[in-house]
Amino acid sequence: MTRSDFVKGQLSEVSAPQALSALNNRWALASAADFANDVDVLNYALTLEYLEAAFYVQGNKANLLSGTEKEYLAAIQADEEYHVTAITATIKALGGTPVSAPGVDFGGAFDSRTSYLTTSHTFENVGVGAYLGAAGFIKDKAVLQAAAGIFGVEARHAAVVGNLLGLKAEGGVYMGAFETGVAKATVLAGVAPFITQTGVTPTGGANTGGGSTARDDKTGLYAVGGAALLGAAGAAVYAAKHRAADVSE
Amino acid sequence: MGDPQLFDGKPVLQFSTETNRRSFLKYAGLVGVGASLVAGGVFSAPYAAANAPAVAKGDLDILNYALTLEYLESDFYAMGVSSGFLSGRDLDLITPISDHEKAHVTALTSTIKSLGSTPVTKPKITYPSGTFASKDSFLKTASVFEELGVKAYHGQVPLIQSGDVLGAAASIAGVESRHAAIIASLIGGNPFPHHIEEHVDMATVLAAVKPLLS
Repeated sequence: MTRSDFVKGQLSEVSAPQALSALNNRWALASAADFANDVDVLNYALTLEYLEAAFYVQGNKANLLSGTEKEYLAAIQADEEYHVTAITATIKALGGTPVSAPGVDFGGAFDSRTSYLTTSHTFENVGVGAYLGAAGFIKDKAVLQAAAGIFGVEARHAAVVGNLLGLKAEGGVYMGAFETGVAKATVLAGVAPFITQTGVTPTGGANTGGGSTARDDKTGLYAVGGAALLGAAGAAVYAAKHRAADVSE
Repeated sequence: MGDPQLFDGKPVLQFSTETNRRSFLKYAGLVGVGASLVAGGVFSAPYAAANAPAVAKGDLDILNYALTLEYLESDFYAMGVSSGFLSGRDLDLITPISDHEKAHVTALTSTIKSLGSTPVTKPKITYPSGTFASKDSFLKTASVFEELGVKAYHGQVPLIQSGDVLGAAASIAGVESRHAAIIASLIGGNPFPHHIEEHVDMATVLAAVKPLLS
């Protein structure tokens, strides 16, 4: 995965069953280590939102758009900035420590209107998939509803930007009758080319209820917001598999 | 949706039987029940023994509630697509929406059946005259439906007990958000009306629909 692949929209997604009757596969995207607790999920989301917010700040400053397009992208920027603020506040409210903003480099994304919107389109769809892939790990119902509410707004962004690009309706504006979750590892691999410096690793302070082993992770992934995720998603997947077993018995 | 009444209170939904109407209306009373079921969290629900439905009664009620709304949307878009006033990019953008709503009906129906329950039947739907008179009136109505649908799904998010049902509902809700944004952009509305999707509970959705059930 390179940055150019991402810009071209080549980021692969985990395919999902089209029928809801295959429900038990829907959450089976993450490994047991992905998310220890709600704060871990939120820090993962926060990093993505930081990335998106910075992306639109830079992109909108590049003066590539006009008219309605410009208004739309300004509104999207405001949404992402709000998400950063809201998630940060939520993490603090839960007694956790928000990850700090990562260093970013979007390469040639702002060379033209097309490259800007194309990168935006990919970012938004990754965001949609990331939220759907992680939502099942959120235990607090209020947090879950907020995360779902953000997920829906990212879906709006993705559709509208796809339409601005004049992409085909199905597969460009819409991504099928059902959204598809994207595994955390895939998301992080996809955004890695844009991150030049990882955010500061949250340190202790609050008992986040899990993921403590990840605090010693020196790979930098944790600082991306996903470290705890690498090891924590397992609990939920275990639960999902356990449930699947119950169903099949 | 600022106005809780659809179509100025004119009837749009007519159920084929009184039983169906009652079964739809009763969902209003189930919100509180669902709330009490979620206390344990998504993954902590005690799962039933072999061969029993893997999800709670409340989840099935939510699925049937969603199915009713999807029936309405599916019928509405089928009418719009066949009406002839859509063309070009508009038709290109609306046709997949119609397909999605049909797929949602099919998926929800099969899901409810697979969980050992009986899906609600399609309601009889009567649209106020003028709904399909023009592209403009159709799209404005579509916008009302989509924004309501988005909020309806998000209203159920914290009430769903099963993680699987939640995932299914969320995967549909995101698609409805896409629809809502595209329709808004087509009518010169705001495709991004909120930083975070709003939500309405079943009772509020019913308050919007109930006057139309005469």
